Amino acid sequence: MATYSSRIEAVPAARWTWGRGLITRERLAPVVAGAVLLVIWEVWVRAQLPDFVARPSGIVMAIPSTIATAEFWSGVAATLGAILEGVAIGSVAGILIGVSMGRVREFDWFMSTYIRALYALPLIALVPIIILWVGYQPAARLVIVVISVFLPVAVTTADGTRAISKEYLDVGKMFGARTRNIWFGIALPSATPFIVAGIELGFARGITNAIAVEILASVNGMGMSVFTKSNELNENASLVYVLCLAIFAVGIRTLMIRFRHWLAPWYHR
Amino acid sequence: MTTAGRTQSFEGRLARFRAVNAWWIRLACYALSILLLLGVWQALGHSFGVLFVPFTTTMSRLWDMLQSGPLLPGLAVSAKLYGVTLAINILVGVTLGLLLARSKLIAAAFEPYIYILYATPTISLVPFVSVMFGFEFGSRVLVSVLISIFPILIGVTEGARSIPRQHLDVAAIFGSNERQLWRDVIVPYVTPYAMSGIKQSIALSMVGTLVAEFFLNPDGLAAVLLQGTTVVDSGWVLAVTIFICAIAVVLVGVGELIERYLVRWRHTAVG
Repeated sequence: MATYSSRIEAVPAARWTWGRGLITRERLAPVVAGAVLLVIWEVWVRAQLPDFVARPSGIVMAIPSTIATAEFWSGVAATLGAILEGVAIGSVAGILIGVSMGRVREFDWFMSTYIRALYALPLIALVPIIILWVGYQPAARLVIVVISVFLPVAVTTADGTRAISKEYLDVGKMFGARTRNIWFGIALPSATPFIVAGIELGFARGITNAIAVEILASVNGMGMSVFTKSNELNENASLVYVLCLAIFAVGIRTLMIRFRHWLAPWYHR
Repeated sequence: MTTAGRTQSFEGRLARFRAVNAWWIRLACYALSILLLLGVWQALGHSFGVLFVPFTTTMSRLWDMLQSGPLLPGLAVSAKLYGVTLAINILVGVTLGLLLARSKLIAAAFEPYIYILYATPTISLVPFVSVMFGFEFGSRVLVSVLISIFPILIGVTEGARSIPRQHLDVAAIFGSNERQLWRDVIVPYVTPYAMSGIKQSIALSMVGTLVAEFFLNPDGLAAVLLQGTTVVDSGWVLAVTIFICAIAVVLVGVGELIERYLVRWRHTAVG
């Protein structure tokens, strides 16, 4: 414990005043850390491991030849297309079911047995039975993405629409709001941060489960390519696919967080 | 009250009925949903044949597999991986989290990469991990931990960062030494954050365990599940899926118990 000093507190950052304070220690630190990590990786692989193992320089060299293939673009289109389609279907279904659950208590109770059980279950365990039913086909991937998104969206939408403050409802009633106005005019907008959080979670799970289906059911796509390239001992190309998946996943997550902050700046996390 | 009830509109009376009998209605809703599921399952099972066996067949298959099948040995293998994963998550997650909260520089250096690693679908790193570290238990643990450590890590970091300045000042004024500061301020303050991370990690560690077992030379419960898929035995697959689902519900329940206990503890600690 010698590394901890006695205070956890916000010490004002000691700034190195190069370039009029543009380069601070905090800005420099991730660059240095990243470079060190990459060098360690590169040196370790060169020194210890066989030549086919992926290393940073090899991955960079493999980017042009991998991206130039038709296989790459068909994989990207298949995987990302399925994920986006699944997210669209799953979100709409989740929002509709979720708002019904939030507004009608009996429906909430009725659905909660299914949704609780499925929500607890790691969805990857559903992949084998879905493959069995749908077949070794791209449709299996779509189904699992839809389920992956539907569940969190339904749960968060129900949570967000369940507790609307009484003032809103009273004002709505005073202006003669019908049930449909209350559901879609008051409850749903006030639940948007919840819904976006649900979609965000669904996206992350959907990507993982889509890749799982691709591998287990041999469906063409980026996840499949990660594994086939690796089996062909073309580790660098395999890592190029991983890199693309990571960029997609990080991009989506960042976008969703931005979107949530823009949508509801008062709502943290 | 009674006279008012008589003169109310239909809607009013319905609302009153729903409020008064809430407990019974709730029970009825649960019962109805389960009965409907089983009924539909049974009916579909009889009409679909091999691909979708009825509920009763699934249950008898599950019973057989529990008696003499590969289910319990598979569970033992998975439970070991699960236990090791969760233990590492807690130990490493809490330690790293405190370190990240303590040192601004270390946090600034590594947080972007933690974020990237968190967002990247870990499943796609499986081939890389297997080439680097093989297909053995260590690799499985690594994959599983990478999937499930982040809630604890992030929770502890945020918790330790949000310790109010006043608490630390008061501790300093009363001349508390390093050990006292940790015991009386930091640990009590961070514990709820750590516990809510652990609650999430309890569920996620199961995902990690299954992913590691599916994709690094099948093993444990995942291998049992895949065995049924390759021979297109839907009774087998359904039985194992239900078995896993039951375990998952229990684990999530344990997590919720921890949280409920924690909420009470928090109230008493504050009040």
